[in-house]
Amino acid sequence: MWGSRRRRIVAGLTGCALLLAPLAWMWQASLVPRSYSVAEMGTPDLGGGAAHAHPDHRVAVPDLTEPGDGTPDVRVRLIARSDTIRLDSGQEMHGLTLNGTSPGPVIRAEVGQLVEVELFNESVTDGTTLHWHGVEVPNAMDGVAGVTQDAVPVGSTFTYRFRPPRAGTYWYHSHQVSHEQVPRGLIGALVVEPRGGLDSETTDLVALVHSYGGTRTVNGATGEIPVDATPGDRVRVRVINTGNGPISAWVSGTPFRLAAIDASDVHRPETVTDRHVQVTAGGRADLELVVPASGARVELSGPSLVLGPDSPAERRPEARLDPLTYGEPAPLGFDPERPDRRFDYAIGRRPAFVRGRPGLWWSINGHLYPDVPMFMVAEKDVVRVSITSRSDVHPMHLHGHRMVVLSRDGQPATGSPWWVDSLNVAPGETYEVAFVADNPGAWMFHCHHLGHAAEGLVAHLMYHGVAVPYRIGDGNVPE
Amino acid sequence: MRSAYRVLAYVIAAEVVVQAAALAWMFSGLGRWIQDGGVLDKATMEEEGGPLPFPELVGIIVHGINGQVLIPLLGVILLIVSFFARVPRGVVIAASLLGLIVLQVILGMTARGGVPISSMVHGANALLIFAVALLAANRARSEATEPRPSASADVGV
Repeated sequence: MWGSRRRRIVAGLTGCALLLAPLAWMWQASLVPRSYSVAEMGTPDLGGGAAHAHPDHRVAVPDLTEPGDGTPDVRVRLIARSDTIRLDSGQEMHGLTLNGTSPGPVIRAEVGQLVEVELFNESVTDGTTLHWHGVEVPNAMDGVAGVTQDAVPVGSTFTYRFRPPRAGTYWYHSHQVSHEQVPRGLIGALVVEPRGGLDSETTDLVALVHSYGGTRTVNGATGEIPVDATPGDRVRVRVINTGNGPISAWVSGTPFRLAAIDASDVHRPETVTDRHVQVTAGGRADLELVVPASGARVELSGPSLVLGPDSPAERRPEARLDPLTYGEPAPLGFDPERPDRRFDYAIGRRPAFVRGRPGLWWSINGHLYPDVPMFMVAEKDVVRVSITSRSDVHPMHLHGHRMVVLSRDGQPATGSPWWVDSLNVAPGETYEVAFVADNPGAWMFHCHHLGHAAEGLVAHLMYHGVAVPYRIGDGNVPE
Repeated sequence: MRSAYRVLAYVIAAEVVVQAAALAWMFSGLGRWIQDGGVLDKATMEEEGGPLPFPELVGIIVHGINGQVLIPLLGVILLIVSFFARVPRGVVIAASLLGLIVLQVILGMTARGGVPISSMVHGANALLIFAVALLAANRARSEATEPRPSASADVGV
C-alpha cells in the first residue's frame, strides 16, 4: 500500500519535472540584462566581408554630428506635451501633441539647408525623442533612444541639426516607447524641397494619414476634406502612412502618376488609371494629377481629399500598381552585382520565451530577441540583403540609408530604380535589396509595425569602429 | 486532488464557452462600427497603442489572452493534477485535452497567418475540447467509480 503510493508520487513528480523543467530552462535563457548597449547586443554577422576594416579608427556615436556650426536656415521649436486630442468628428482621446497639435507642424526645408529643431519635453512622462524617418541624417541626429541619444526627460531639451541631402517626402516621429507614442500622436511631416524651392506650377499638398483610436484622419481631419484646387491645376499629394500596416491610395475621376516612393522620384512614371497604390507602413507615396473640370478625389481608404468640384467616390481598383515594373530604368550609381557583404533577414514566428515572457515571438534567421543579427559593415561597402517573411506583413525600415529593390521572389526589377526606406514584405515574399554603406554609425533596421518592433523584431546595422555609449534600458525604450 | 481535477475540467469547458461568446460579441461590434463608417484594412487591424476603435474589440483581446495563455496553462495544471488525482484514465484524458489545446493554439496561429481553412478546424476543434473537458469532469465526478487502491494494482500512471 505505502510502496504503491510512494511509487505514484514519484511517478507524478517525475511527470511534473518532465513538463516543467524545459519550460523553466527556456524561461531562464530568455532573460535580458536590465540595460545593455546595442554594440554588445546580438550576434555579429559579417556577411562575408572583412572583420576589421578600420581597426585604428574609432568614433563614438555622439561625435557623428553635422559638421560646422553655421546659422540654421530653418529653425523650429517643438514642445512635446501630454494632451487631449479632439477630432473634428467630436471624438476625444488622451494623446501626445507637438506645439499643441497632432500631427505636429509641417516642416519644410530645401536640400542642403541647415535644419535646427529644438525639442522640448514639457510633459511626456516616459521621455521622448524625434526620429527623421527616411532622412540620411548624421547618426547622432537619428533620434533613437538608447542607440543614438538618451530619451529627453520632462523639462529637458535636445537639439537636432542636419542638412537633408535629398528632396522628397519624409516624416518625423518619436523613437522612445514608439509603439505607444507614435499612435498617440507624436508625429509630423517633413518636406524637403529641391534647391531653389518647388516648381510654382504645381500645388503641393501633404496628406499625412494617421489613425486616432480607429478613426483614420488626413492631416488630423476626418471624412471628405475639401482642398483648395481648381480644374486645370497640377497637384502633387504627398501621402504619408504613419500606421502599422499598409494602406491603399487611389484617385477617383482622373488618371494619375506615382511621382515618388518614399523620398525618391520615380524615373519617368507612366500615367495610370484603374490602379491603387499600396503605401507601406512608415512609407510615402507622392501622387501627381491634373484636376479635371468635373473634379477629382484622392482616396485614402476612409478619408479622402476632394480636389475641385465635388465628384463621386470610386471603389478601390482591384489591380495594384507594381513598382517593380513601373517607370523606366536609370543608373543606380553603384553596382549591386558585386557586393562586399550579403545578409539574410528572414522573419519567422514561433512559441517561446522572450524577456521571460511566454508567447509567440518573431524570429530573425531562426533566432529570437536579443540573439538577433548585428549586421556589420564598413564605410563604402556595397551591401545586399535578402529579406523574407514567413509570417505576417512586415514593413522593413532601415535608418540612415535608402535601399534599392533588385527583385521580388526572383523576378527582377525592370522599372524605375525602386528606392525605399520602408519596404512592405508580405508573408511568403522574398525581396533582394541593396544599398551603399555611406553613413557611419549604429542604425536600426527593424519592422515598422511598431508593435512587432516592441516584440523584438529589431536588428541593427553596425559600422566597424563605431562606439555606442548609450544603453537600452534604464529609461531608454526605443520601441 | 480528485475534486481539483473535476473543477479544472469544468473551468476549461467554461473557458471554451467564453471563447466562442467573446468572438461572436466582437464580430457584431465590428459590424456596427463598419456601418458607422469605420474602415477595416490591414492598417486598422494592426493598430495598437491608442484607444480601441469600438468597445467590443475587447472580445478579441479576451480571446487571445484566454486562448494563448490561460487555457494552455489550465491544461498543463490539469495534467499535473491528473498524476495525483486517481481518476480512471484521468492522465490519458488530461494529456489528450492538452494535446487538443495545443492543436487549437496552432490552428488559431496559422489562421491568423493567412490560412483561413485553419479557422474552420479551429471552430470544430473547440467543440471537441469542450466535450473532452466535460468527459474529464464527469470521470472525476462520482466517488463510486474510483477503484480502491490495492498493493498489487493501481500505480496511478
